[in-house]
Amino acid sequence: MIRLGDHLMIVPVVLPLFVGAVMLVLGGERSRNVNAALNVATTLALVAVGIALVREADASPTGVSGVYRLGGWPAPFAIVLVVDRLAALMVLLTSIVAVAAVVFSVVRWHRVGIFFHPLFQFLLMGINGAFLTGDLFNLFVFFEVLLAASYGLALHGSGSARIMAGMHYIVINLAASLLFLIGVSLIYGVCGTLNMADLAARIPSIHAENRALAEAGAGILSIAFLVKAGMWPLCFWLPATYAAAPPPVSAIFAILTKVGACIVLRLWLLLFGDAAGASAQFGGEWLLLGGMATVAFGAIGSLASQDMARLAAFSVLVSSGTVLAAIGMGQVGVTGAALFYLISSTLGLAAFFLLVELVERGREPGADVLAVTRELYGEEHELDESEEVGIAIPATMGMLGLTFIACALVISGLPPLSGFIAKFALLTSALNPQGVQGGTVSAAAWVFAVILILSGLAALIAMTRAGIRVFWASPDRAVPRVRLLEMAPVAILLLLCAMQTIQAGPILRFMQATAQSLHAPHDYIRAVLGPVVEGPNGATGGT
Amino acid sequence: METILALGIGVLAGSGVWLILRPRTFQVIVGLSLLSYAVNLFILAMGRLGSEVAPLLADRAAGDPAQYADPLPQALVLTAIVISFATTALFLVVLLASRGLTGTDHVDGREREP
Amino acid sequence: MISPETLLIALIALPFVGSCLAALFRANARNAEAYLAGVVALTALVIVIATYPRVVGGGVIQYKAAWVRELGLEFSLRMDGLAWVLAALIASIGFLVVLYARYYMPPADPKPRFFSFLLAFMGAMLGIALSGNLIQLVFFWELTSLFSFLLIGYWHQTAQARDGARMALIMTSAGGLCLFVGILILGHIVGSYDLDRVLASGAAIRSHSLYLPALILVLIGALTKSAQFPFHFWLPHAMAAPTPVSAYLHSATMVKAGVFLLVRLWPALGGTNEWLWLVASAGLVTFILGAFIAVFQQDLKGLLAYSTISHLGLITLLIGLDRPLGQVAAIFHIVNHATFKASLFMAAGIIDHEAGTRDIRRLSGLWRFMPITASLAMVAAAAMAGVPLLNGFLSKEMFFAETIEVHDNSLVDQALPYIVTVASMFTVAYSLRFIRDVFFGPPPQALPRTPREPPFFMRFPAEILVLTCFVVGVLPALTIGPLLETAVRAVLGPNVPEYSLRLWHGFTPAFLMSLVAIFGGVAVYFMLRPYLLVNDGPPLLRRIRGQRIFDLALVTVSWRLARRLESLLGTRRLQPQLQLLVCAALLAGLVPVYTRGVGSAVLTRTTFDFVFGIVWAVGIACTLAAAYQAKFHRLAALILLGGAGIVTCISFIWLSAPDLALTQLVVETVTTVLLLLGLRWLPKRVRESGSASAAPMVTRWYRLRDFGIAFAAGSGLAALSYAIMTRPQPHNIAGYFVENAYAQGGGTNVVNVILVDFRAFDTFGEITVLGIVALTVYALLRRFRPAAESIPMPDQQRSQDVHDEAHPNRRKGDTVKGAMATPALMITILFPFIGTAAVFLLLRGHDLPGGGFVAGVTMAVAFILLYMARGTLWVEARLRILPVRWMGAGLLLTVSTGAAAWLFDRPFLTSSFSYLDVPLIGPVPLASAALFDVGVFALVVGATVLMLIAIAHQSVRSHRAPGRREPLPPVAPPTEVK
Repeated sequence: MIRLGDHLMIVPVVLPLFVGAVMLVLGGERSRNVNAALNVATTLALVAVGIALVREADASPTGVSGVYRLGGWPAPFAIVLVVDRLAALMVLLTSIVAVAAVVFSVVRWHRVGIFFHPLFQFLLMGINGAFLTGDLFNLFVFFEVLLAASYGLALHGSGSARIMAGMHYIVINLAASLLFLIGVSLIYGVCGTLNMADLAARIPSIHAENRALAEAGAGILSIAFLVKAGMWPLCFWLPATYAAAPPPVSAIFAILTKVGACIVLRLWLLLFGDAAGASAQFGGEWLLLGGMATVAFGAIGSLASQDMARLAAFSVLVSSGTVLAAIGMGQVGVTGAALFYLISSTLGLAAFFLLVELVERGREPGADVLAVTRELYGEEHELDESEEVGIAIPATMGMLGLTFIACALVISGLPPLSGFIAKFALLTSALNPQGVQGGTVSAAAWVFAVILILSGLAALIAMTRAGIRVFWASPDRAVPRVRLLEMAPVAILLLLCAMQTIQAGPILRFMQATAQSLHAPHDYIRAVLGPVVEGPNGATGGT
Repeated sequence: METILALGIGVLAGSGVWLILRPRTFQVIVGLSLLSYAVNLFILAMGRLGSEVAPLLADRAAGDPAQYADPLPQALVLTAIVISFATTALFLVVLLASRGLTGTDHVDGREREP
Repeated sequence: MISPETLLIALIALPFVGSCLAALFRANARNAEAYLAGVVALTALVIVIATYPRVVGGGVIQYKAAWVRELGLEFSLRMDGLAWVLAALIASIGFLVVLYARYYMPPADPKPRFFSFLLAFMGAMLGIALSGNLIQLVFFWELTSLFSFLLIGYWHQTAQARDGARMALIMTSAGGLCLFVGILILGHIVGSYDLDRVLASGAAIRSHSLYLPALILVLIGALTKSAQFPFHFWLPHAMAAPTPVSAYLHSATMVKAGVFLLVRLWPALGGTNEWLWLVASAGLVTFILGAFIAVFQQDLKGLLAYSTISHLGLITLLIGLDRPLGQVAAIFHIVNHATFKASLFMAAGIIDHEAGTRDIRRLSGLWRFMPITASLAMVAAAAMAGVPLLNGFLSKEMFFAETIEVHDNSLVDQALPYIVTVASMFTVAYSLRFIRDVFFGPPPQALPRTPREPPFFMRFPAEILVLTCFVVGVLPALTIGPLLETAVRAVLGPNVPEYSLRLWHGFTPAFLMSLVAIFGGVAVYFMLRPYLLVNDGPPLLRRIRGQRIFDLALVTVSWRLARRLESLLGTRRLQPQLQLLVCAALLAGLVPVYTRGVGSAVLTRTTFDFVFGIVWAVGIACTLAAAYQAKFHRLAALILLGGAGIVTCISFIWLSAPDLALTQLVVETVTTVLLLLGLRWLPKRVRESGSASAAPMVTRWYRLRDFGIAFAAGSGLAALSYAIMTRPQPHNIAGYFVENAYAQGGGTNVVNVILVDFRAFDTFGEITVLGIVALTVYALLRRFRPAAESIPMPDQQRSQDVHDEAHPNRRKGDTVKGAMATPALMITILFPFIGTAAVFLLLRGHDLPGGGFVAGVTMAVAFILLYMARGTLWVEARLRILPVRWMGAGLLLTVSTGAAAWLFDRPFLTSSFSYLDVPLIGPVPLASAALFDVGVFALVVGATVLMLIAIAHQSVRSHRAPGRREPLPPVAPPTEVK
């Protein structure tokens, strides 16, 4: 008989694939509504699975709730899936955003092209696989799956803007994938294994003359990840692609950059953590610098962007840059805070991508340019008593305005939503390396803090500009026709942000625990390889 | 042998890179194909060379690793070949579409103004 | 009896709940929202009063709840004397303002929104007052900025409301961010964000190296909020808000938050020269500047706004003077200013409401029309001017007394009394102007409305406040005394300095200063009057417009500069991005090698093989030629590319990887077919004569640079591979596969066993990728729209048709048919054989080179050959392929094969096998892996055919509809061909 509990951890990968296949057998497009129903049901099921996984992972003493040996083959040789706090958390986050995106899409967007639902399922498969797998080459495969699906979705509905953006996106990611292959095979050639845990166990004991090559492999590999994570200066494809993609797709794309960031987080700490002997902390400063540069560029871009979609896309850069920089700080506390921030910003951005489309509906393009120039020549205004009667904002606009404000607050990190808590967590743990009990502050921490604050201010200014332009400056604009099914996902995502604020304590505790086990991966390694495989001089011990 | 292969890989990769830096979509797609050859050979090379080692198990029994070529890189290359085939096809279609929509085969969708 | 802690929670929660409720009312809910707001505010006031007994005499009510303990942030409400006074102000004036607004706001207004914002703001303000944790204080601080933004922009259809709101938001919340960092630093110093801990460890803070930065940041926060120089300019523009908002936010509460914070943190931060100089000078400058500019305002609210700035400057100065008595006076003046300024704003609102304008030049002689309002305004203005018998006088006198004291005995300190006296003259002057120009003089001409007394309840709030001014002014010790005592004790602790709240202290210097200020003020007023009647704005500072400067700065930095930087730091073109990517990879590869060095490689080289060398010589030639030809001779490039591919194949065989060779070969074929099909749609590109030589300098430079990059990349990869190949293989995991491929995987073709068994999960993903791409390709081509010049038939084909038409006995297209006849026949015959071969490859895959993928592609090749030979229509008329279904089925098969293991409670993809001897083919492995392979086969066939057909269809389509400009109708997908 089947004990589902044992196989739960592979469901996030297999279920979407299965459902996608079923959709194809049903004949792809002929039965779009059936597919939509299937899609919604599946994503909801995935949310349930995600919750279960998170609970398991949190309950387990080591934080690694399970290792799934595919085909029943022993660990370092065949492929394993590993569920630890991070993986479970990201799977859950992915499926939540997925639900929102799908529900949003069924009102109109899944009709602008074909095969939306199967592609969406395959995308989920790829993302979940990338989070769960414990094998370097298998990671490559899942990256390809999610990329291929993302190509399809980014081009969903065609149109020259999408095609052009999509082409750049594809070419760059194809090149990045080749780099990925080079890096992986190089590492295999030097270390003789593909299993992450096994690698972590072997790296400390590489011969001196081979170490350089191994690090070169890791470096090239990291480039591949950083392209996905959108680190400056490898990120110029991102704004165009995200702005051009259909809104529900951009919403789920908010996760994709985080995939890159999370993989970097895991691999870097696993392979080049403090236990990595001579290679410990390899490349950390590059992460820090690159991350900060990304934040700066993202902030500048969001100030410089006319339409909201681009603004949102640049905010994605800011958020992933923040995460990268925080990882680069290499402190447990900051990493935990970064995870907290990651959740909040992803939810906020996904909501914003969806909202933008609702707001921009029924607005004539070109109004934006005017607004900005008006602001530039700030014409003299005289007291005009006549106009001083407030106008009733239609309920729809009121609703949209409210959600817009909420998004702006989350993204620019102002109270009362989770963005503020996240920013506070990042800053306080960066400034107080040894907990709240002070300690000396590194220069990096200062720069990090300043950049973070400034980016928040930039986001505020940009958001205010956009919001005033859309909601206030044109009172007699046509009110967009919005269906409840389109409003609900946005509202839910934002409510989750609010919950994250209220429940900040427990959630942050979870994140800190996650960060702990990421920084001390011996449990992970032991869980995968079993206690028997001990590298020379017991290098598996992460402590 | 090693020298030749390394040289070959180098030339393939070099020309590939040169081509993907060109402005015409067709050049880019040829470049990507060349690059993928280079990478496939590179992966195989990571299993070290051995021209006189057997690829298949001689008899139906457990084999001795020393006698056989490293099978893992081969498996990886197979996967890589398939994937690069798929992506090449995709890119081809995208470049056709962009050519159709923008009327040019420049990678940026419009001729570079000098 | 409810516990005081509960009262605190109720106090903070109530306004927010009320706000949410108010938001639910319909836009034309008749005053329901106003009553709700009134009730909420009144209840809040009652609660505040109820808590008084607990805070009197230094008592503190504290409520703490866990929030984010790890980071020292907990939800902590803390009510002491000082907080109580502020809370009382917020609640009481809040109530009066609600009452006032009920009558002030036009009936047409959607008031629910207004009152909802107002209540939310009240809640945030109370939050500031009651925060026992500094981070929480920042939290509410930023909330007040947000809600003030919404309130100022309430009449957002007017441009100045929008701009005023934006300016206020950006200024105050930028200040808030500074405050945030300052607090973080304080927390870093103290090791806690708890207010009590921070206040307790003042000495540690002042001695810490980070004291100055922390102080400055906190000050920026406080001064922006309280509109102190040089951040004062947002306040006058915030006057675009409805008057009740101005009365509430810009006189009584929000602007007081800054000075409140200063008093609050004085025990921790005060007592240093930095404090004295920074705070006091900011206060002094603001006091003078505000008073001066206020005199020259023509808009009533503008006058009041600047006078508010100036009074806040006075308070800041008092705090900055850094002595206990200064704090006492400051708190006292906070309260007094709130009362008289709020009532003045209300009066201004009434005048505006009744007379229809706020322009002082147009108003005059209103006394006849609204005597009561006039007298109220006059008393309040007198209090503002510091006339005896009113509360303003008392705090003013304390202020004068304080300025006389010696602080650091610098020049400024000695000059201080004279400076402030002069400044106070202007205070008196603008108060006098408010009274005389508006209420006296000739009756007004051409007012929009004829002014009259407002309804009683609109006046009532102002009356209450003015009454307070008077009572406090006459009987300070009885009325305000105990409250002030409580507040002061909360700040200064037990050692409260000696001060007396008496009306008459005898003929003190302070009293003298007051008299001088008053009479001087009157003089100043009459001197300036002629100027005021004509001019708008002060004589010197008129040119300087804070708002224009701000807007210009904002636009320059946040728009122009940003645009420039974006285009400078980023690009939207592809080539630079790829260059960056390659360079980044090179760097990532080189840096470690450079820092560590590769060490001495142990050379374990295989023997040199001449033939292999020859092969590769050809390969290299092909490659370079392909790279060279790719621009102008696509077909040639394609063939050369194939050559390179073949060489790759050969070397695969050489390196004993037959599977790879096989796969590479078939993939090569299909790719080439695809590209050929695609070529037709690309623009014709002919080399313009001697372009290579005529290429402009810049182009050559680009080429040179790219060549450099390419060369580096190539040699880098070559070096890496050489380095690896020439060192001994590490003990790797591959051995396991060789050992167990047969014993446990049941196949002798190790590679295939790895693919379908050991690492079947990879194959899984790989075929999914193929499927996805096929779907995408198909979806894209449905919308495909060829470029204009590539729509008509190729020349060759056309010429053939012409030739056909020329001959009577031939029909159009015969030549093509004739040319294709033989291959068509051959292929039709071949078709079944290829199919069989595919199946064969599939079945034997487990033991010999082959397998699902190769088989699938072979099958697809068979199909495509048929298409090429017979033409799309012919084929689809005869056999009906449903590629999408094939793909789905294939995926399903693989998944279910994998999942079948669950039935035996084994992990996903666990395989089991046995052999079955089939004649001719040999032993067929009945492994579940084989089923898996079949699935792969199905998917690959489906995917490949789908792609090829989709592209092949384009020719058919574009011929059907030549020269269409609008998007073509979607092609009948192969799944639906009859």
